[in-house]
Amino acid sequence: MRHDDDLIARAVEALREPAAVSPGFDGRVMAAVRAVPRPSRWALAWEWAREPHWLAVSPLGGLALAAGVAGLLALGVWAAVPRGGGVVSADAAAEPGQVVQFVLSAPTARAVALAGDFNSWDWAQTPLVPAGAGVWSVALRLPPGRYTYTFVVDGTRFLADPSAPRAVDDDFGTPSSVVTVGRGAMPDRGRTS
Amino acid sequence: MAPAPDDAVIVRRVLGGEVDAYARLVERHRDRLARYAVRMLGDPEDAEEALQDAFVRGYRSLATCKDPARFGPWLFRILVNRCRTKVVLRQRRSRTFVRDEVALATAGVAALDERGAWREEIALALGALDPLYREAFLLKHVEELEYEEMAKLTGVRVSALKMRVKRACDRLRDLLQEAESAAR
Repeated sequence: MRHDDDLIARAVEALREPAAVSPGFDGRVMAAVRAVPRPSRWALAWEWAREPHWLAVSPLGGLALAAGVAGLLALGVWAAVPRGGGVVSADAAAEPGQVVQFVLSAPTARAVALAGDFNSWDWAQTPLVPAGAGVWSVALRLPPGRYTYTFVVDGTRFLADPSAPRAVDDDFGTPSSVVTVGRGAMPDRGRTS
Repeated sequence: MAPAPDDAVIVRRVLGGEVDAYARLVERHRDRLARYAVRMLGDPEDAEEALQDAFVRGYRSLATCKDPARFGPWLFRILVNRCRTKVVLRQRRSRTFVRDEVALATAGVAALDERGAWREEIALALGALDPLYREAFLLKHVEELEYEEMAKLTGVRVSALKMRVKRACDRLRDLLQEAESAAR
C-alpha cells in the first residue's frame, strides 16, 4: 500500500479496530465443545503414530535399545509363525483406520472437492479426480472416528453425499454427511452416490 | 505471577483430556479471529456463527494440528475456510450485506456521528467488493500477513493474490471517494 494513499490507510486503521462478540460467546463455544464426543484412544494413537518422534540416547543406550528392539522383533516373528498350518491375516498388521472411497456423480461439474473434519474443511487439500462418465472420486485413509463432510462442486456449491446419512447439526445450513470409521472392515456409510 | 502457558502446552492438555483448558485458547484467539470474521462477513451474527464453528471444528480436529505452538495460524485457516463457506451460502440465499452493528453499538456516543458514519461507509464499501478481493485485502492489510503466508492459507498463487489486493484497493478507493464526495 502506498503511504500517500490516505483514504485506504484510514480505512485500514478503522478496520484494525477490535470487533466485539456478543456477551456469553465463550460460554456458548465451550458448551458446544463439551458436547463434542471425545476422540477415541485409537484416533489419538493413530495421530501420534503418524508423526515422527525423536529419541536422544547415548551410544551405550542406543546399543541396549537396538538389542531390545531386535529381541522384540524375534519374539514377534516367533509368535506370528503359523503353527498347525494356519495363515496370518494381512489385516492383523494393518494400520488402524480404513481407506474410505468418496464418490460423487456430477457430470456437469468442472471441479469437485471434499471438505470435512479430516482436512479442517479446507477443500483445496482434497480434490476429487474424474473417474469417467461424470463420476468423481477420491480415496482417503481415515483413522477411527466420526467425520462430517460435504462435497464442494465448482468451488461454489455444497452437496451432501446422497448415499450417506445427513449430519444432525448440518453445519449451520451447509448440507453435510457423516461417515463413521470403526476398526471393522467397512466404514458406516454408503460407498457411492 | 507465573507466565501464561503457551498454546502448545494448552493444546497438549486439551488432547490429554482437559477439555476446559480449551477455554484459554478461545479467550486468547477470539478477538483477532472475530475481527476477521466480522470484516469478512459484515453480518455480526454470521460472523459469530463462523467463529463458533471454527472453534468447535478446531477442537474436533485438534489432534491433526501438526504444530501446536502455531495453533493460532492453524485455527485462522479454519476460520478463513468457514467464512468462505458462509459467503457461498449467503450468495445462494441472496442475503444482503449489513453494517457492523456490534462495532457501531460499542462506539462512544459522542464519536458515533462522525466515526460511526465513516465505519459504516467502510463496511458498505468492503461489502461491495468481490469476496475474493475482500478476503485478500483483509489478510494483507488488516491481518498484515505476508503474501507467502496468504498463499499457504488460501491455496492461491502469490501473483494472483497481489492482483486481488491491488484491485481491492482500487475499488475501495473509488467507493470511499464517492462516499466522501456525497457527504460534503
